[in-house]
Amino acid sequence: MLEDVLLIQDKHREAAAVIVEEILNNKKDKYIVAISGESGSGKSELTHVIAKDLRKHGIFAKPVHIDNFYNTLPLERTKWRMDKGIENVVGLNEYKWDEINRVIDDFKNDRTSTMPCVDLVTEQIDQLTTNFKGIDMLIIDGLYAINTDGVDLRVYIELTYHETKKAQKDRGKEPQNEYRMRVLEQEHQQVLSIKPKADLFVNIDYQVVRAHHD
Amino acid sequence: MLNDVITIKEHHTQAAELVFEKISQKIDKKKYIIAIAGEVSSGKTTLAYLLGRMFKIKGIPSKSIDLVDFYKVPPLERRAWRQKHGISEVGVEEYDWELIEKTIQSFLDSKKMTMPQVDLHTDLVDEVTTDFKDIEVLIISGLYAFHCEHIDYKIFMELTYRETYENQKYTGKEVMDSFRNKILEKEHEAVQSQKKMADYYIDFNLFLNSYHL
Repeated sequence: MLEDVLLIQDKHREAAAVIVEEILNNKKDKYIVAISGESGSGKSELTHVIAKDLRKHGIFAKPVHIDNFYNTLPLERTKWRMDKGIENVVGLNEYKWDEINRVIDDFKNDRTSTMPCVDLVTEQIDQLTTNFKGIDMLIIDGLYAINTDGVDLRVYIELTYHETKKAQKDRGKEPQNEYRMRVLEQEHQQVLSIKPKADLFVNIDYQVVRAHHD
Repeated sequence: MLNDVITIKEHHTQAAELVFEKISQKIDKKKYIIAIAGEVSSGKTTLAYLLGRMFKIKGIPSKSIDLVDFYKVPPLERRAWRQKHGISEVGVEEYDWELIEKTIQSFLDSKKMTMPQVDLHTDLVDEVTTDFKDIEVLIISGLYAFHCEHIDYKIFMELTYRETYENQKYTGKEVMDSFRNKILEKEHEAVQSQKKMADYYIDFNLFLNSYHL
């Protein structure tokens, strides 16, 4: 994402340190980490700090933001969702999963890959071309990121939009209105279905907790 | 640049508002180019971002480019290159001005353009392809941004290289040592030589945050 605004706090650094340790303990070639969480839960911040930390360990990690892969253009999304009905369309199917999978495949096979990249100021979709040769890890972040196939470590941030409402306002990223609230509520409901896939949880106090798979 | 982190402070917003007002009065054509030159870590990218947002609110599509993406030698090789070629090679000539000019021309001609883009997580150079068709304002930031052709409005951002040293240590962008210090001194000289060309001058050290020349 171009021109994104990040607010990195100590809680992100502390959680990232724990997650990086987990990554280092299980590390293998072409490792994939996914970070899921609702809007404003700190996915991008956590991704950023993890990538920076990994670099200190000599590991080259490339972030991939799932929000670059929407089916609809940023400037047309609101109208499209309204026309189709928020409760009908907001969810997993709003994204181009085949393109996401293609990028992952390019990463796994050291290929050069071209992917969409939203400029948040122009709201246009640029195309980003990157060479995955020499890239050791991929960090996928997005609401439904842990649903992606082939992920080695799945992290789920448990903060819901209710808890982050204020933070969103401070960032001024999205207008706060009834439409936005309905989208957030629908996303909140949808993401619950993939939550059980997580290996690690970042709880509402931003502590990293291991999932208990029975 | 991909994955850059900026810190927006009150003084940035104030400066951006003042500059935006000036530019709004001056802007007289569909393809307008603004250059932000100035010292390392003086807030060029932050100002570019804030101006972009202000244009967006006014319904004017703008695109920012950062000249740091246009170095001839990629980031991971630059330090060794500079050490090999010596401090005299540091400066304006380190940039690919031909490619910068091509980018500016693509904007003026409303064409598509593929440009280099440094990912600050990997320090590798990606490529980004953008369509300048609907873009009305181009904001170019970089140490020597005034060296570009076709600039309509020039903003200069002040900072002494001593402060740069402190700032850089803080943002952790570069390894600091005496060689890096010499580079900063050299860059500082070249940056300052552009100052006279500025339409707008910003100095956060002054009591008045900014004033018009």
